[in-house]
This record gives sequence, C-alpha cells and structure tokens, in this order.
Amino acid sequence: MTHLRFPKITLWRVLVALIFAAGLYATYARFLVGFAASTNLSDSVPWGLWVGLGTLCGVGLSAGGFAVAAAAYILGFDRYRPVVRAAVLISFLGYLTVVVGMLYELGLPWRIWHPILMWNRSSVLFEVSWCVMLYTAVLTLEFSPALFEKIPWKRAREWYLRWHHAILIELVLIGVVLSSLHQSFLGGLYLITEGKLDPLWYSPYIPSLFYLSAIPAGLALTIMALYLSARSLNARFDLSILSEISRLMAPLLGVYALFRGVDLVTHGALPYMLRWRSETGLFWLEMALFVIIPLALLSSEQVRNNPQWLYWTCALVVMGFVANRLNVSVTGLQASAGVHYVPKWTEMASTIAIIAAAVLAFRYAVLYLNIFPQPKQSWMMKAASD
Amino acid sequence: MKTKAILVDITKCIGCGNCEQACKEAHGLPMASEPVLSATALTVVEPRGEKFVRRMCMHCQEPACASACPVGALKKTAAGPVVYDAGKCMGCRYCMLACPFQVPRYEWTKLAPYVKKCDMCAGRLTKGGLPACVQACPTGASLFGDRDDLLAEAQKRILENSAYVRHIYGSEEVGGTSVFFLSDVPFEKLGFAAVPTKRPMPTLTANALGDVPTVVLVGSSLLAGLYWITERRKQVALAEAKERSSTSRMDEERS
Repeated sequence: MTHLRFPKITLWRVLVALIFAAGLYATYARFLVGFAASTNLSDSVPWGLWVGLGTLCGVGLSAGGFAVAAAAYILGFDRYRPVVRAAVLISFLGYLTVVVGMLYELGLPWRIWHPILMWNRSSVLFEVSWCVMLYTAVLTLEFSPALFEKIPWKRAREWYLRWHHAILIELVLIGVVLSSLHQSFLGGLYLITEGKLDPLWYSPYIPSLFYLSAIPAGLALTIMALYLSARSLNARFDLSILSEISRLMAPLLGVYALFRGVDLVTHGALPYMLRWRSETGLFWLEMALFVIIPLALLSSEQVRNNPQWLYWTCALVVMGFVANRLNVSVTGLQASAGVHYVPKWTEMASTIAIIAAAVLAFRYAVLYLNIFPQPKQSWMMKAASD
Repeated sequence: MKTKAILVDITKCIGCGNCEQACKEAHGLPMASEPVLSATALTVVEPRGEKFVRRMCMHCQEPACASACPVGALKKTAAGPVVYDAGKCMGCRYCMLACPFQVPRYEWTKLAPYVKKCDMCAGRLTKGGLPACVQACPTGASLFGDRDDLLAEAQKRILENSAYVRHIYGSEEVGGTSVFFLSDVPFEKLGFAAVPTKRPMPTLTANALGDVPTVVLVGSSLLAGLYWITERRKQVALAEAKERSSTSRMDEERS
C-alpha cells in the first residue's frame, strides 16, 4: 500500500504559496475587473511598475545570456563554457517573464501579435517588439538542446543536436546583434520624452546608457543565480568562474560610470545633481548601489575571490540597476506628470508572482535537466572535443 | 484638399461650454460636463482666472504619437486631423507617454480599453461639414478653415490689435500643429505646455532608428571577425601543440 504523503511545510513553501495566491488574485483583478481595479495607473501615469520593473528590468537583467554566450563562443573565453547553458536559461526565463508581463501590461493583450502584421518603422517600440520577439526565438533555439537531449529516440535526438551544433555560432551572433539593438532601444523609448523626463535621466544618449548598464547588470544576475545553484541546487562547477566573470564587471561598470558622468556634465545636469529634492536623492541611491559601492568592492581581490562577497556585490548591482530603470520610468516623470504614483499592491503581486514562477522554473530545470556539467557524461566536454 | 486647422481665439471665448456639449453629442459620449480631458471628454473649457481655455488634441503636423505607435494606429491625415484606428491599437499606451501636450486618454475602467482623443471630427470633414465644436461656438472663438488661411488670419489679428500676445501658439511648437491659439494673457499663465522644442518630436527618435542598418552590418561583421580570430588562434595553438609533441616524440626515439 502506498501512502500519499502531504508535502512538508517549510517557510519557503509557505512564502511561495502566498506569492502565487496574491499573484492569482492580481491576475483576476487585472483580467476580469480591469486596470482601474488592479493598478494605480492614470492618464498622467500611463506606464508604471509593469513597464519599469517587468519590462525594462526583465529585459535588462536578462542580458547575461548573450554576454556570456558571446564571451564563450565568439571571444574564445573557453573557461565560461560550463556556465553558458545556465546563463542562456536565465535569459530565456527572463524573456518569458517579459512576454507574460506584457499580457498584463497591454490593454488589449489578445492583440499582442499585431506588430507582426501592422508595421510602423518610425516607432522605437515597433523595433523593440520585433527584436524581443526574434531574440526570444533565438534563446529558445539556444536552450533547446537541454530539452531535446532528453528525447528517447536516438536518431531524432542526434540529428537535432548535430543540426543545433552546426548553427550555434550563427545563433549566438544573431543573438548579440538583436540584444544590442533592443537593449539600447528600450532606452530609446524615452528619447521622445524630452521636456518630461528629468534632466538627471533624459539624455540623447539614453540608448547607449541602457546598453552599457544592461551588460554588467545581466552578468551580476547570472553570477547570483550561479552562486545559488552551487549552494542550494548542488550544481557542480568550478566556482572560480564566478570571480572570472566578475573581473569583466568592474571595467564594464567603470565604462558606464564614465559615460554617464560625461553625459550628465555635458548636457548641463550638474546643478540637478546637488539640488535638495527627492529625484536627486533617488539618483544618488541609484549611483551608489549600481556604480560607486560595487566598484569599490570589486576593486578588492578578496571580494572577487570570495563567492559569498561576490554574491552580495552583485545583489547591489542588480538593485542599483532596478533603481535606475524605475527612476527613468517612474521617478523621472513624476514632476511633469503632476501626479504622485505609487504602484497598487496588485501591480507588485503580479510582477513578483511572474518572477517567482521563473525562479521555480530555473530550479526545476537545474534539478531535472543537464544545465550544469554532469559528473559522468558532460555535454560540454562533447561540444568542446568536436 | 488643403490641410485644415482650428483657430481658438481665447479673447473671444465666453466659457459657455457649447463646444464641449456638441463634441460629446457628435462622439456619442455621456453628456455630463467634466473639468479636465478624459476618455469621455475630448475637449473641455477650463476657466483660468478671467479667461477660458479650450483643451483638445493639437493635431501636430508631425505627431509624436503617430511616430511612437508600434502598430501605426495613429496617423496624420492629409486633411489635417490626427486619427486613431481602434482596430489596430493593442493598448500599449506609448502614445500617451510620447504626446508633448499630454492629450491622449485611456478607458481605464473598461475590460477592452481604447485610447480616446479629439479627431477633429474627421468623419464630418469628409462629408464637407465642420468640426462639431466649431459649429457650436456662438462667438466665433473657434474657427475652422485652411491651415494657411487661419495662420494668416491669426497674424492679421495680432498686427491689428496690440492687446494680443505676439505669438500664435501652435505655429511653431513641435514643428507646428493644426490647432492654433491666440491670447491676450501669456500662454504659460494659462497652463499651456512649454514644449521643449520647435523641431518635430519624431526627429528625436529618427536618428536612433536610422542607425539600425549600420549597427546590424558593422556589429555582425565585427563579431564574425572576432570569431574568425578566435578560431584561427585555436587552430594555431593546436598545430603548435601537435608539432611540439611530435618533435618531442622524435627526440625520445633518437635518444
């Protein structure tokens, strides 16, 4: 006789259940009652947390996949190969959260396919939607071997893996180009807000700023996920890879800081940086979290070589990145909107539930698929020996 | 057909609200008067001190909303109006973020919400009619006509009467609009948007979008070049390693 055992109740499981319950209610409020019931959006604040956190951060923090894949396959950083698949998985799940979040965000979500047929080449958002669409397809293909290698039919499996191996470099290359385009064009969305967006964030170079900040932020999130996989999910890979990736982050953050500083000074935002107002406070919070403290920490050998320290440094970078995107999409537009926007709890709840689903999906993928090199038969070894 | 426009002379407006009512009737909206633009009030007359200021879509010559809309639901027509195709709209609301005059409104309370804004009664215009608001104006504060003629008329009024502010609002804002305002009180005191530029808003994004082919071409050739170098270095390293092992084997054999 088999006993059906009730799953053990742990703090984490309760938390996850609560997050999904809240997310479910928010989903009901959004799709069956409407925007007015589920958001604090208004005619003055047409874009809120769903765009700022769900889309801008979702896409930006998923930049790790293309950066790590490009480093490993195009720049020849062979040491990164054991973590390429994990990095691609993180990006893939990240883009899925963006697409799902878009369904909440769009007023008429059943028309999400419209940009495929209805073109407006002068729209930045049109370009973004095409790039996100194509890059999500590229990520699906890049990640697909992890699923296809589980097919029980040997010939189909080997045919697919051989085909995938043949197009891998092209995929990575297309992925880098598409990512570069839409990571910067997400910033480009705000080019048209001249006169509305606060001078601390408005810049004719905002596309470049978005691009330059997305890469270190994406790498930071990748390092965090890799560290947690090694700590909690028994992933076996050389942890020194983390400090190696972090060695890239300091120069990338430095380039961003330099670009941002020169940009602020040249377009005359200097006086705004020292004025006593909430925008300026949030600007310095963003700078401290994203650039100043991480750069100080990363300059220390001890921090770079200690995975736990590195993890917390990367957490700061991610928080600073989120602060930047929310500053652009919410803080910087408050004054011109004339309305103080605080997201409704249901806006938070749905976004957090979508992120939680992605985290769970990552966990199960690491547990049930070969995301990290396996002790015996490693797909990486095979790929490397071809 | 020449491109049309509306001229609002604030000095002549008595705040009767006939235009609001006529607009609501023409668009089938609830008749209750509203203080500010909304999804059910596409034009309103706002009291500002002693003056009455009408708000509505400015029908820009090169509209930010039309350039922003990813699916081309918003379009500037040759006749003047900026019109909205509800059948294309997917509800992204980027037009609302893009508009320098903060005009488009959204049906936040509906389950299938659409964008709402003044369409200059484009439907009535094609039948040779006037915009409902202009037709309803009892004092001639709102005029309708060819854009060039209205600009000339506005110019004439400013020259003939020194009480007017010496500026036609809409003549050069964001590259020019199809709705003009004349006033005897400075526009900034009447809540008019201090738009940042005299250039059309779409030029702000046109340069970035123009870079796409360059980025794709230069980016992919750069990456392909880097890949080639990486592979070449690997091959050279491999060949050298082979050579080294074969020479060492020969050395062993010799010894």
